[in-house]
Amino acid sequence: MIIMKKSTLNILLSASFVLITFALKAQQDEFFFKAAGTPANLKVDVSWNRYYTYAGITDILKKLASAYPDLVTLESMGKSYQGKDIWVATISNKKAGNPDHKPGFWIDGNIHSIEIQGSEMALYTAWYLCEMFDENKFISELLNDKTFYIAPTINPDARDYFAHVGVPPRSGLMPMDNDRDGLFDEDGPDDMNKDKNISQMRRKSADGTLNPDPEDPRRMIRVEQGRKGEYEMIGSEGIDNDGDGQVNEDGIGGYDGNRDWGFNWEPNFVQSGAHKYPFSQPENQAIRDFVVKHSNITGAQSFHNSGGMILRGPSIQGGGAESYSRQDDVVINEIGRTGEKMIPGYKLLTIWKDMYTVYGGELDWWHGAMGCFVFSNELWNPYLMFYDTASTDQYEFDRLLLFEDSFIPWQKINHPVYGEVEIGGFSKMIGRLHPGFLLETDAHRNAAFCIYNAYQSPKLEVSNVSVRKIEGGLKEVSARVTNTRMLPTHSATNMRYKIDPPVYVSLEGGNVLAGMIITDKDRNLTREQEKNPGRMEISNLAGYQSVDLKWIVKGDARYTIRVESVKGGRCTVVAE
Amino acid sequence: MKSTKSRSILSVIVLILPVFLNAQVQYSNYKTLIQRIDAMAKQYPDLCKASAIGKTEGGKDIMVLTIGTGERDNKPGIALAACTDGSYILGRELALGFAGSLLRDASSPEIKTLLEKVTFYIFPDVNPDATEQYFQNIRYERSTNARPVDEDRDFSTDEDPFEDINGDGVITLLRVSDSSGAYTESSEDKRIMVPADLSKGEKGTYSIYTEGIDNDKDGKFNEDGPGGISFNRNMTYNYEEFGANAGLHPVSEPESKAVMDFLFGHYNIYATLSFGPQDNLTQASRGGGDRGAQGQAQQAASQPGPGAGQTGRMGERRISSVMRSDETVIRLVGEKYREITGVKGSPQTKSDPGNFADWSYFHYGRYSFSTPAWWYPVERDKNAEAAFLKFAEENKLGDVFVPWTVIEHPDFPGKKTEVGGIKPFLMINPPTEKIEELVASNYKFITVVAAMHPELELIDVETENKGEKIYRLTLKVHNKGLFATCTEAGQNNIFTRLMRLSIETDKGLTILSGQKVQRIPRLEGNKTAEYSWLLMGKGNVTVTAGAVNTGFASSTIVLK
Repeated sequence: MIIMKKSTLNILLSASFVLITFALKAQQDEFFFKAAGTPANLKVDVSWNRYYTYAGITDILKKLASAYPDLVTLESMGKSYQGKDIWVATISNKKAGNPDHKPGFWIDGNIHSIEIQGSEMALYTAWYLCEMFDENKFISELLNDKTFYIAPTINPDARDYFAHVGVPPRSGLMPMDNDRDGLFDEDGPDDMNKDKNISQMRRKSADGTLNPDPEDPRRMIRVEQGRKGEYEMIGSEGIDNDGDGQVNEDGIGGYDGNRDWGFNWEPNFVQSGAHKYPFSQPENQAIRDFVVKHSNITGAQSFHNSGGMILRGPSIQGGGAESYSRQDDVVINEIGRTGEKMIPGYKLLTIWKDMYTVYGGELDWWHGAMGCFVFSNELWNPYLMFYDTASTDQYEFDRLLLFEDSFIPWQKINHPVYGEVEIGGFSKMIGRLHPGFLLETDAHRNAAFCIYNAYQSPKLEVSNVSVRKIEGGLKEVSARVTNTRMLPTHSATNMRYKIDPPVYVSLEGGNVLAGMIITDKDRNLTREQEKNPGRMEISNLAGYQSVDLKWIVKGDARYTIRVESVKGGRCTVVAE
Repeated sequence: MKSTKSRSILSVIVLILPVFLNAQVQYSNYKTLIQRIDAMAKQYPDLCKASAIGKTEGGKDIMVLTIGTGERDNKPGIALAACTDGSYILGRELALGFAGSLLRDASSPEIKTLLEKVTFYIFPDVNPDATEQYFQNIRYERSTNARPVDEDRDFSTDEDPFEDINGDGVITLLRVSDSSGAYTESSEDKRIMVPADLSKGEKGTYSIYTEGIDNDKDGKFNEDGPGGISFNRNMTYNYEEFGANAGLHPVSEPESKAVMDFLFGHYNIYATLSFGPQDNLTQASRGGGDRGAQGQAQQAASQPGPGAGQTGRMGERRISSVMRSDETVIRLVGEKYREITGVKGSPQTKSDPGNFADWSYFHYGRYSFSTPAWWYPVERDKNAEAAFLKFAEENKLGDVFVPWTVIEHPDFPGKKTEVGGIKPFLMINPPTEKIEELVASNYKFITVVAAMHPELELIDVETENKGEKIYRLTLKVHNKGLFATCTEAGQNNIFTRLMRLSIETDKGLTILSGQKVQRIPRLEGNKTAEYSWLLMGKGNVTVTAGAVNTGFASSTIVLK
């Protein structure tokens, strides 16, 4: 037996990885050529027509981090309830500046455990940015200017439950006494036929009101009133485990990760799904701690399913402590409408108005507490089945395009309470989730929407710099600072509650005697900043807005104008 | 046997003396607090358990004393929380004094019975970072923990604290002679500064600031000192987002999180009593407002869409005033408080958003009582500070006022500037001679109210022989306590327990009709709920009713 030192083994392993990568690349050149908009010469080969377990997601993230060390930093934000690392990949061109000083865009997926494809969408975005960085000018410039923070699954415990065990609740897996009887998680659904699905139960009954559809006998159709049917439906797979006369009333978990955020929070008797208090859940605590330390994040996307919606806040009428300002509304709607174009079938909707009220939701926290621009895409839309809003029959789709792969055929079993029943119906992989062949298409469109969002975060530039001699040997230095993108450096909430400092424009060199913002160039009106004129403060630079500044300076001939904005990035210009 | 007993009595006496004598002398600092807690736990290991449930932001232990007998977490519990506002330091003494008295009397028939039925969870100080300011070199009333916070949102932290300009160890006020100032001398007591009332023809001649320097030169004085977040503004109910000292979000602080986790983890707790600024024992409780969705309807409301109807319905589930049947109990408890402690008048109370007492009722769903426990009389429409000076004089409280003294102040060159004012803490905490009496009366009050706890019994248990070995079993579950088994406000709260009624039968018996396990709805004081089963066969039937917050009642019936 040969015993190698761990370090030697590592060197050998990484060497073989380089060789394999090299060989793969050579083979790729021989066999493939690039389709427009998709990377072909891959360092990390990933199939986007299947779903990944937590281990699979971790593996892809680690491969990206090792293949693209100049772009990717992978770190754990904290542990889930069961102790899994909650990964976040920071993606930016590190050689073009500190990623945490660039405007950041946050993506998370899978907060609701049955809404798993958000992870693939987030992961695709990470992968796409890395693999396209060398191949595409837009992407490489984007990663020079911006930073993506991507957390593919923020609910890893329940994701693995979905992958390996059965159908989890919306929540993570912290025990909860949903029926308030002193026992925790004692009466959940039971996977009676051990197929990792919780299906429907039907049985033949004298009082039946349903018959199999003669056209597709898998489908149960209701008989007309007054007629007799063969079957009755008796709920989802399960038994009354705790003998209290109720079936499946206290399963694992049973709260809601998206009612746990520290803004407009309400307790569970107002907002079902709420836990003890905001950030009761370790997964959300980890994200809060990370985000609070990354105030450069300007925008966010939290992937959910389903229904084909691009959701914006507020989630309660009026927005609670802070409603959306008119200026912010305009920008959000503009971005959302572009999203509607980019992702066919998806509609821009406002949560409280077009869907329902949500207290303590993640979106309101991002906007209200963190001052960010945020969307939540509800992935998958029945429209995608036949690209037709009028034709959305899942049975037909399953038959014609999936060859009945998403249907569990009715199967007889003996139920301890109900006697002989049949278990069957659509599997957990259809209805809310993309089938494999549509997953990559929608992942790309949603990734492109995130990229568009990030692109529109502020970019600050300095222009019209001039140095002019004035009386008394003094100099007047003037400059213009422009935000060349659509999003402001500060949302209205951010300005009102001073979440972030203002945009600082510093003049270095010489002794600054006075500093002012030029409010009207033609009439020479200015607003002086008495305190600390060497570091001028601009409360906000709205999309495409310019601000002219002027300093009176004594001495020196070389001046550095330094712009620093938490959410707008940094830039420096030297004037002589 | 005999010798063991006498030895233990002896050691009790030896240990008791320092602890209880000490208690009445002065306010306890953190070190003394911990010593007193440890002493009680050591002295009464069978009755009293002391646990540190977390660390404050400043690294102090957050302590809880559990006092009771038997299976403590399996019977109705009362939580007592002191120093919800750190400037109300009296709470420490009342809480420790209560614990000490309870332990001292634990073998008396009355308290022995009480401890068999009820467990007490005592938090002598939920916010020691704040409270400890009383014992520091610079004394000022402080509600906040040690977390550095940029209170004035100027992006530098803790840069403008108080300064003890006259070096007397306490922070009072600055008054600056100013012909356009907003303040003038009060007509009730010239030492007191009041806003000039233009409608009465008054013109101000002073500007008033807190004692200190405007370190950050922003025109505001001492607006960003050390700390912090206030425990009593960090709860979820009526929380003020971006409010002063409110925290990044509700329950953002280690102190509030530790206390919340303990309380939510103890489903048996049915009532809380807090010593702090809120009072619902001498005056009717209020909801403390509601930041209501409807009132805020702004532009987003202009075009309601298909989801809009849902808002109102969800908002309606909020509770923002005390519910009727809970009011009955709260009023009864208030009457007992006034009767036992003999207090008169009502204290000035602050309704802090995000406070503990309101949270405990509205969001925790438990009976919540709160009192400052001490105050001085203020006649209607009279100045409270002037009234305090009068009270201090009448009761010979001594040196309560720092006389206005001229000083040099760097922020007011060339202007006459004086330091002076009422010393901190004295208006909200009694002189130490009062503590003993307050401990005794509040102890009496708490034990009397605790005896009103919810308690179940099974009454009118009857079996009717229907022939053919068929029996009808009928009984009533009776709440013989005065408190309801759960507040009305808490009945839909997932963190309150529902009572279960279960029936266990011998193998020879089958249940023909009636549920094996079922839920019992909320029972108000002295109310019953009736249940029946149809059984066939012979043998024993055991019926058990209850939940940890009500206690359990059980009865075995023999069918033969």
